[in-house]
Amino acid sequence: MIHFYHVTKRFDRYSTALHDVTYHIEKGEFVFLTGPSGAGKSTLLKLILRQMTPSEGQIVVNGRNLNAIKRGQLPSFRREIGMVFQDFKLIERMTVFENLSFILTVLGLPPKEHKKKAYDVLRAVNLSHKMTAYPLQLSGGEQQRVAIARALINDPMVVVADEPTGNLDPDLSREIMDIFNAANLRGSTVLIATHDRDLIDQSGRRVISLDHGRIVEEKIAVPDRPARKDGVFGLGGV
Amino acid sequence: MARPLLRDDLRPKNTFSYFFREALRRIWVSKRSSFIAVAMIAMSLMIVGAFLLVAENLERAVAAAQGRSRVSVFLDPGAAPETIAAVGAALAANPHFAARQFVSKDEALARFRAYFPNLSGIAGQLDENPFPPSFECDVAPDVVQSPAFQREAAVVRALPGVEQVQFDWEWVERLKRLINIVNLAGVVAGGLLAVAAAFTIANVIRLTMMLYREEIEIMRLVGATERIIRGPFLIEGVLQGLLGAAAAIAVLVGAFFGARHFLVPANSLLWGFLFNGFLPWQKIAALVAGGMLAGYLGSWLSVRESGREAM
Repeated sequence: MIHFYHVTKRFDRYSTALHDVTYHIEKGEFVFLTGPSGAGKSTLLKLILRQMTPSEGQIVVNGRNLNAIKRGQLPSFRREIGMVFQDFKLIERMTVFENLSFILTVLGLPPKEHKKKAYDVLRAVNLSHKMTAYPLQLSGGEQQRVAIARALINDPMVVVADEPTGNLDPDLSREIMDIFNAANLRGSTVLIATHDRDLIDQSGRRVISLDHGRIVEEKIAVPDRPARKDGVFGLGGV
Repeated sequence: MARPLLRDDLRPKNTFSYFFREALRRIWVSKRSSFIAVAMIAMSLMIVGAFLLVAENLERAVAAAQGRSRVSVFLDPGAAPETIAAVGAALAANPHFAARQFVSKDEALARFRAYFPNLSGIAGQLDENPFPPSFECDVAPDVVQSPAFQREAAVVRALPGVEQVQFDWEWVERLKRLINIVNLAGVVAGGLLAVAAAFTIANVIRLTMMLYREEIEIMRLVGATERIIRGPFLIEGVLQGLLGAAAAIAVLVGAFFGARHFLVPANSLLWGFLFNGFLPWQKIAALVAGGMLAGYLGSWLSVRESGREAM
């Protein structure tokens, strides 16, 4: 589903964010991307969303070679990906419902279907009571969940999240991870960039570690608690 | 897993209502700059409209005159009644001049006073009536410009007591040239102002786009097409053009009918020409379309630049 072939990203002669990165994420996988600040995690995610192009190498996402993709094809490609941005990127002048409704407009859904879709996805992130609130009236955790709801509203093929639990308390972090797990169970391929070691260690998922722009380790995290019966790792209910 | 919603194009009905809602909201949010854009459009269309209005009324006068093909035979102001009778007899002998009417000096003065009431005082101050008597002959339109008729007119001009033979079509031709000049001046002045208005709208839309820069970036990242990003801005420009055109037409209607009601003295020939009627609906529609087009072009210039910067 996501394939990087010898990808290098240079910003200038002295600043290289990624060095010869090769990795593959298969359809339906749930993968963590980790590493210290400045390791190149965000750059890698931006490359997946084609916010930037690699200096060298090839990237294939959902069967599309991003080096060859035309500008006119970018919108439909991006609609296949549910992206959760580190800074949420919610539209502040719009209410929670309007932020979601806008995505549904972009997707071409008739307005009469917006309310039900938005309500369903907000209920999944426990925010159905905040539909009329504006982003700035919400806490950081609530904004994070709205951003996740927006990413998931389309049941995307790929879900990519940049530090989705950054600055959240452990309980809220678990809740948010459970939302991603549920999306993964529904069939989405999930890639989460985080430096939250506890979260990763409890996941039992594949972990790709980056450092100074290079992949330094690929392993399966081994949880110190058994996985739940429903297949979701032991972090609480969805 | 549910199939993702990946419609490459959107249902026009949904997106158009979104475009209009967003455009109206943005106009309302940027009231001041929108007002400037609308005022610029209105001003340029008012000038174009005023020129059109003058030309339209002159054209109506020309159309009325062309149907008549009148030839006026002016006589010497001091012509004796016998001389006048002789000229009348000579005209009666020619079938082309048969449909004629004699206008005496007194009738000519009365007409002048009726057509130009503001100047009637001047006429009253003169010691004697300066207007010459004349014969007004209605000639068939197909005859009046023929070489044969020109020769006949030259014979009439040579009759004793005849001072001048004047063809209406001569001043109709002069009026037509004037109409062309008025139309050209209107198109040039209006065109220049419309370009200026389009650039004003372009700047207003550019400012709005700056205001929504972050939002546009988010839209692109979540997969919005350029069409859905640009649509509200294009509609915003079109709506500004429409509002400008509506304002211009409202001012023109008010000024025209107000002036006709309050300024035009009854029976004045000149005022009667200029205030004969308002613009026909086709020209009003052209003004509205021009305003909308200027608005569209202005916003298109801005969104095109924004599209080039997009990744």
